[in-house]
Amino acid sequence: MWWTVARKEWKLLIKEKGVFFWLLGLPIAFIVLFGGIFSDNGRSSVEISYIDLDQSAASRAFVQAIEGAGGYRMTEAAEGEMADKIQQIRDGKEAVLLVIPRGFGQAVESADGSQASVAVYRDAAAESTAGPLLAVLENLANRYRDGKVKTALEATGLSEAWQEGVMAAPLRIDDRPENAASFSGITQYVPGYTVMFVFFIIISMIRRFIGDRDSGMVARLRSTTMKPVSYLAGMWVAYLVVALIQCAALLAFGHWVYGMTLGDVGAVAALVVTLALCGTGLGLALAMLVKSENQGMAYTQLLAFGGAVLGGLWFPSDLMPAAMRTIGHFTPQFWAQKAFQDIIVRGMHTADIWPSLLVLAAFALAGLAVALLRFKTFLKSALG
Amino acid sequence: MKTAIEIHGLGKSYGGKTALRNISITVREGSCFGLLGPNGAGKSTTMKILAGLLEFDAGTVKVLGADVRRSGDRIREKLGYVPQSITLYEKLSPLDNLTFFGEMYGVRGDELKKRMGEVLEQVGLADRAKDPIASFSGGMKRRINIAAALLHKPKLIIMDEPTVGIDPQSRNHIFEMIRALKREGVTVLYSTHYMEEVEALCDHLAIIDHGNVIAEGELNEVLDRFGTQAVYLELAEGEQPPALPGFGKPAAQGRGWLLETASPLEAITGWASACKERALSVKRLEVVRPSLETVFLALTGTTLRDS
Repeated sequence: MWWTVARKEWKLLIKEKGVFFWLLGLPIAFIVLFGGIFSDNGRSSVEISYIDLDQSAASRAFVQAIEGAGGYRMTEAAEGEMADKIQQIRDGKEAVLLVIPRGFGQAVESADGSQASVAVYRDAAAESTAGPLLAVLENLANRYRDGKVKTALEATGLSEAWQEGVMAAPLRIDDRPENAASFSGITQYVPGYTVMFVFFIIISMIRRFIGDRDSGMVARLRSTTMKPVSYLAGMWVAYLVVALIQCAALLAFGHWVYGMTLGDVGAVAALVVTLALCGTGLGLALAMLVKSENQGMAYTQLLAFGGAVLGGLWFPSDLMPAAMRTIGHFTPQFWAQKAFQDIIVRGMHTADIWPSLLVLAAFALAGLAVALLRFKTFLKSALG
Repeated sequence: MKTAIEIHGLGKSYGGKTALRNISITVREGSCFGLLGPNGAGKSTTMKILAGLLEFDAGTVKVLGADVRRSGDRIREKLGYVPQSITLYEKLSPLDNLTFFGEMYGVRGDELKKRMGEVLEQVGLADRAKDPIASFSGGMKRRINIAAALLHKPKLIIMDEPTVGIDPQSRNHIFEMIRALKREGVTVLYSTHYMEEVEALCDHLAIIDHGNVIAEGELNEVLDRFGTQAVYLELAEGEQPPALPGFGKPAAQGRGWLLETASPLEAITGWASACKERALSVKRLEVVRPSLETVFLALTGTTLRDS
């Protein structure tokens, strides 16, 4: 009997085009939108205007050094444009203007202790652009100072080894990325929106259960030879399969369209099954608990959007305050996203993500338990 | 004669409100039994109890010889329940809906295909089997609503107001279907607001009001016991009916007059003589059979539709 209920539900879902929009169209739209913005994360460059009043070899080398640092595309403006550029910065239309004054090259190369300078005009509100640029300039200034020191040391006639010892930094940063694959916007957003929209299936589940209850369908089915629990099981299986297809389609989209590496496919499959069990288990529980469709919508949105923010689906949870991160640990979304990141970014396998699978399975079991406990009340309200 | 339904002293309350006080009904196998009463009288509650959908507080209920409290599953195999509301999936076709309900009743494979073909013929919608239910008229939906309860060849069909708001064509289809079921020996329990439907279909009936059975028996017996006989006279335009000594005053009805009396033979001969003496042009003069409408009025003091 449960198979008959599940098959009927699939026939109905195929006829409801809105379901495709909510479960596939909307998440793909979000992935495309955010993927378009962040897929080139680390490789995109910010355009910086500069005016080179010095026009010397040293000033040109300075500009090239900035570009060489990565992340910036330097665009030269004429001297006469300076007033306009500064006004544009004041109006918030441009973020930064770098001005290399006359005499820059001479000052850099002189050994008499005179100091070269560059001016950075910036929009106070464009900290995200100007801040990193100032750090790059600071780094370049240090390199110029090191060059001067080296020249002075060479003039002393001391041994090369001694000079190198003096020039060596007292602190060396040893960068050792431990992830098997690299992190990018896509590895954040594809799993993030997959996890988020799995919970949107709860809306469809609530609509069908409440609709069947209010239309008298549940009462009518009770007059047949069907065991009541077959109805619950059939509906659950129907939506479980839909959630599995939804996850597979969204991850495949990320893989084929954006080249996202999936990592251990077996581990991804285990995670997707557990996630689908969790989403539909909680859906069953909510469908049995709510009195009306509107109430169900409100709770689902709270669960889906609240969990998305706290669970780190929209941005890494490391960026959140400690208290919010702690609260996030109580959401299934956090554990699902963590497990996806573990597999896709950190190259982990099923054996490594078992705590996440366990938490998701616990949420699924809790949802099923609530649904079974409340099913009698649901039936009573349907038959009354 | 075997009984299909035996109800004794049935009582049911919802949250302190009494729906059924003391219902006792016996329905013979193979008969069509009409359950008549105004809204809120307790018809649907009685039917839901018989279908095993509701628990009850007092009394005993046997369906097809089995106690509904103890043998619900066994009864459900032989029972078809047509609810008052149209409970179909409107985005699906009749074939999809019937496949779903057929399997819910345990009918599968070739047997189900055969039965779907038969019931679709019965309800006159075989040519619309693949169209979505949403495109159907109210009457067509009601016909499929009934068809869904017939797939497993039930011995008892409970129909809760199956003809509400439908067109005459659909009503005729449903009437023909019920008559065919009766011929096959299926027991039909039929609730309705419409007295003429009970008169047209049912052999037996019970009138329920405020959770009590206020009249029960064979149709003719109930009409004889509770109805008042009358004589109807229709004359040419402008002519007035002659007064009959010893009888009451006739009441205007339609184009003529109705005289209620316990002695219809004397009244009709009296009116015939008086009209002849006065050379009145008689268009119709007949003894009128008591109607359920008048029975209901006599028993409850109100008409069914007003109540």
